[in-house]
Amino acid sequence: MTRPRARRGMLLAAALTTVTLLAAGCSGPAESDEGPVDTTLNVWAGSQTPITANFNPYAPTVLHGALGPVYETLFFYNKAGGGDPVPMLGESFAWNEDGTVLTITIREGVQWSDGEDFTVDDVIYSLTNEVGRSANLVSAEASDDTTVVVTYDSPQFTNEAAILGGAWMLPEHVWAEKSVEEATTWANEAPVGTGPYTVDTVSEASYTLVANENYWQEGKPAVAKVRYLGIDANASAEDLLKSGDLDWTGMFVPDPEGVAAAGGPTGYVNTPQDPTVLYTCANADLGCKGPQTDVAVRQAINIAIDRGTINDKAFVGLAAPISPTYALLGRDDQWIAPDVEKESPQSGDPEAAAAILEEAGYTLGADGVYEKDGVKVELTLTSVEGWTDYNDAAKLIAEQVAAAGIKVTASTATWQEFSDSRQSGNFQLIMGGIIGTAVADPFQIYRDWFSGEYTQPVDTQLEAGEWNFTRYSNPVVDAAVAQAAAASDEQTKMDAYAEIQHEITRDLPYIPLVINATQTFYNDTEFTGWPTDEDLYAFPPSWGSVSAGFILANLEPVE
Amino acid sequence: MRYYLRRAAFYAITVWAAISLNFLIPRLMPGDPADIMLAKMARSGEVAPGVERTIRLLLGSDTNQTPWEQYVAYWGSLLRGDLGVSVTKFPTPVTELISAALPWSIGLLGLATVISFVLGIAAGAWIGWRRGTWVDHIIPGSTLLQSLPYFWVALLLVYGFAVVNPWFPRIGGYDVFTFDGPEATAEFVGSVIYHGVLPALTVVLSSFGGWLLGMRNMMVSTLSEDYITTAEAKGLRRSRILIGYAVRNAALPSIAGFGISLAFVVTGAIVMEQVFTYPGLGKLMITAVQGNDFALMQGLFLVITLTVLAATFLMDIVYGFVDPRTRLNG
Repeated sequence: MTRPRARRGMLLAAALTTVTLLAAGCSGPAESDEGPVDTTLNVWAGSQTPITANFNPYAPTVLHGALGPVYETLFFYNKAGGGDPVPMLGESFAWNEDGTVLTITIREGVQWSDGEDFTVDDVIYSLTNEVGRSANLVSAEASDDTTVVVTYDSPQFTNEAAILGGAWMLPEHVWAEKSVEEATTWANEAPVGTGPYTVDTVSEASYTLVANENYWQEGKPAVAKVRYLGIDANASAEDLLKSGDLDWTGMFVPDPEGVAAAGGPTGYVNTPQDPTVLYTCANADLGCKGPQTDVAVRQAINIAIDRGTINDKAFVGLAAPISPTYALLGRDDQWIAPDVEKESPQSGDPEAAAAILEEAGYTLGADGVYEKDGVKVELTLTSVEGWTDYNDAAKLIAEQVAAAGIKVTASTATWQEFSDSRQSGNFQLIMGGIIGTAVADPFQIYRDWFSGEYTQPVDTQLEAGEWNFTRYSNPVVDAAVAQAAAASDEQTKMDAYAEIQHEITRDLPYIPLVINATQTFYNDTEFTGWPTDEDLYAFPPSWGSVSAGFILANLEPVE
Repeated sequence: MRYYLRRAAFYAITVWAAISLNFLIPRLMPGDPADIMLAKMARSGEVAPGVERTIRLLLGSDTNQTPWEQYVAYWGSLLRGDLGVSVTKFPTPVTELISAALPWSIGLLGLATVISFVLGIAAGAWIGWRRGTWVDHIIPGSTLLQSLPYFWVALLLVYGFAVVNPWFPRIGGYDVFTFDGPEATAEFVGSVIYHGVLPALTVVLSSFGGWLLGMRNMMVSTLSEDYITTAEAKGLRRSRILIGYAVRNAALPSIAGFGISLAFVVTGAIVMEQVFTYPGLGKLMITAVQGNDFALMQGLFLVITLTVLAATFLMDIVYGFVDPRTRLNG
């Protein structure tokens, strides 16, 4: 194992060197073919070769082209900018008083790509089939030709976006005969969808989609053909982007200005979404061990960290400030309680950190490290080997907290070790991510990452869907999460959030660092209609589920 | 005859051991593939509930078989030519993935290995023949090239001839921006050759030095043999001495090595294929290892082991013919 790993590390280093060289040098755009304007849009959504045809949205290896371009949802929720849901296959929806009954009116006159009509039966199948159904679903029935009434056993306000903006609408006439086994393992090579595109060809190196001529939005899509490529190494993708071969991609490029300068696409937008944090195994009651189980240590680390430097040095200045409430700054500001810290401090304050430790009864040892009851504040911070931004950030943190008398040793682990330790809770500090919410509401983070119901004791693996790696369990948070889940009005929900925010900004089971950059590059000289900083109508990267289809339908080639 | 039987029995045992190890090793690796898969997907966004259930169905069940039952089932499916279904490229059968990648690896690496061998032997013979003159200076140059790692040579070539001077394509086995898949046209074949130049050059540059050095050393020692002096004394033409006497004898060890290196062609050039996004077996290997895709890994190891064994077996047999001494002591 050691040898290939070392070689990969070297490869990375070499690739990075090349990238730097590239940035310094300047390459002309690849020669374009003489001939009629080619309206094919070349996309890289992160696929690697060999590509195998799979357009089954329930399959883990589904290709990006299925999620949005081929299949659609009832409504479109803008993960990047918030705002009201946009009607897609649904026209309107309403909740009953307590959030258990959802009435959906569907769009009339929509046809599947095989010519059949889109009906309430399709909606019912999509919401109730064994694979895709929600665990809380009681029934889904049609009350007339365009209305579906869905009943749940508990309030579902907070799942609205997952149901209406996340459940794929599948053709019942194709899918109904599939058993559960088939529905999950079937590759669905020629998918029948309602979306703006249909599948044309698939090879191991690429697959192409062509415009759906019967698309329900008149005049869309205007781009006749979309080609999704398989590219193995990020360095290759960056070269192709800079030579102008790729028209749309979402990938990390340390010097975004260099892309256009080298002859690549000029459109660029950065939409930071996902928090990067330190997971701390916080709960001694569930078996966590180490100094970080003391809240004072976590608080001290939190204010000793110099986030500005971390962003500049480890994340090349592309990450955004984070809120300790985990509401996304700028998008979810309305959900931040007025009396909590809105933004984590950008500069570190080691004296204040030391003061917190002293107040909690720690004394400074001769070696400059605080200790209590003979136990030194010594911690191991793990990050995944090869994720260089995380590795660098971990080293910076180790240096920064040393000034506050906390000894952090930055170590790296393989993905596998990282995954095992966070699943089982055997860690002290881990550099990790939190998945940003799909709507302008931090609820999902509070429930999935902070509540006691979404965790397990140390040495017990978290179950699928459980994300509370820190083992944090606080009855106040749990009660507030339940209250928010059932809240039908904004004030009740806000009250619950305020309570959660007070608890988590004090207890800090996750120590907030930055919001990761999400970069998107697009060709705005040959195509128009992209989401921009001014008009962020959809989450821009090419790998965005649902949003990619929404964007593709809006694009127009420049004559 | 006994010699051949003994060899055959030895190889049969080796094949059995290799296949059994192939079964065993992935099962000794830590971790649950389902967890890894879920966590990986979560990195790039939400995981829909349906997908989660699918993964559990696929990977989580059916673990109550005893290892012995698994072993027997493994042999059964192996004999049916069923290597299982890939997890990372679900639901494609492993055999399909391998058979799609095999021609690319064999075509590119086979050709590159042959070129590298012919080039190395020819140059080695020439340098050995002209020993003591300025041509000796070529040797350090070629060994330097060989000491450079594959991927470094590949990256340099990419930088020089695909990025700064876009003379050659950056990725792929053919022009993915023009062809939607392999087709049987002259343009496509041209595209394949065009796209193979840089990857092949990488292999040739970083491997011909070994052949060259070995051949040159054999040449030097062969040239000091008595029969060369005799040939010279007889007044034979220089070219006849070179080809018929010196090269013929000096090349023997290299030819044995060539058989083995041809067998390793099927392993693909892992890093080189990654750099060029070349659709070969090496690339598949990376995919399998990164995704803890046991079925794919096993399939690949099987193909590699069997090819290497077959090649060494063949070389053994050939050697038995060529050199009767091996038959006595083998």
